[in-house]
Amino acid sequence: MSRVHDVGGQTGFGPVDPGDAAEPAQFGADWEAHVFAVQRILLRRGVFTGDEMRDAIESIPPERYLAAAYFERWLEALEVLVERKGVA
Amino acid sequence: MTSPHQHHEHHEDVPVAARVRRLEERLIAAGLTTDDEIDDLLTRFYADASPVNGARIVARAWTDEQFRDRLLADGSAAAAELGFGPQTSDYQLRVVANTADRHNVIVCTLCSCYPLSLLGPSPSWYRSLAYRSRTVREPRAVLAEFGLNLPAATGIDVWDSTSEIRYLVVPVRPAGTDGLDQDELAALVTRNGMIGTAAV
Amino acid sequence: MTDGVRFPLGSRVRARTIDPDHHTRLPRYLRGHTGEVVAAAAPEPLPDDVARGRAEPRVETVYAVRFHGSELWGSDPASSHTVIADLWECYLEEAR
Repeated sequence: MSRVHDVGGQTGFGPVDPGDAAEPAQFGADWEAHVFAVQRILLRRGVFTGDEMRDAIESIPPERYLAAAYFERWLEALEVLVERKGVA
Repeated sequence: MTSPHQHHEHHEDVPVAARVRRLEERLIAAGLTTDDEIDDLLTRFYADASPVNGARIVARAWTDEQFRDRLLADGSAAAAELGFGPQTSDYQLRVVANTADRHNVIVCTLCSCYPLSLLGPSPSWYRSLAYRSRTVREPRAVLAEFGLNLPAATGIDVWDSTSEIRYLVVPVRPAGTDGLDQDELAALVTRNGMIGTAAV
Repeated sequence: MTDGVRFPLGSRVRARTIDPDHHTRLPRYLRGHTGEVVAAAAPEPLPDDVARGRAEPRVETVYAVRFHGSELWGSDPASSHTVIADLWECYLEEAR
């Protein structure tokens, strides 16, 4: 029962936008960097595993998964896991 | 673009930034983290994780054939020789080298796995549904959208990062670079070249 | 825990036709397709088990398996590439 994230070979997502190759490697916004940092810290604290994090992202309902920005998916998964684990 | 030091001063009006802040405050209140820890992690990440790291590995591979052989046999061990042990401790590094007739390109169809410590944060296009879906299906067309038009005779190997193994591409060393030192060679290597969406 | 490497380098393997409803790292586009083992990496905990919170997840060798584009997508010029994926041992079976 493949979920929406399993997109290898699917069509319809349009051309790839290469952006500006000269742009330095960085997060697109400060909030993205903070989502990244929070995830790293919670992993380090053992609140959840990387596999549980991926599972939580993949479990986002398809329409929301497809419409969301990459780090919005992370944020939603973090909120679900924090709730589920009852740590905060 | 953004400073890593403004930890509780999100100068962003977007609602998602406020939502992130609420999550942080919840975690801080529960004693799971602190603003200083978040700030410190990002400061260190920005200092340690950059394409400059990958480029150093590539430049060394270009100039030292035995290192190149070791790199292709065991990427993590060879990266550690150059001091990148801590950077590659979270994953297994596998390095693949382009040749005159074979070109490598990396993708993660299932999410966006990426060697951040050697290349910095991944570019938006790498995480896009378009790149994730199409690269395993029509890599030549995808590379053409990056301006990389490979000869028809060049074979393409697409590596789908489905496990904890992370990939780095060693591009072909450009012609006319014999006189350059390691630093000058490293400066030629681009982030896209190390993913496989550029020639170098 | 696997005792050894079940699939030698160069052997032909098939990605099993399985359809789990839980987290897995066997992409749909590879299931049922045959490829060649080109590398074997140190054993790793199986994501399918770890994601479900199994106390003792299976720990298995991870194989780099090369699939020809034509095997995956059919024989047209746009399929003249190969795809290599890293697959846990239980995702694979011997192919004739």
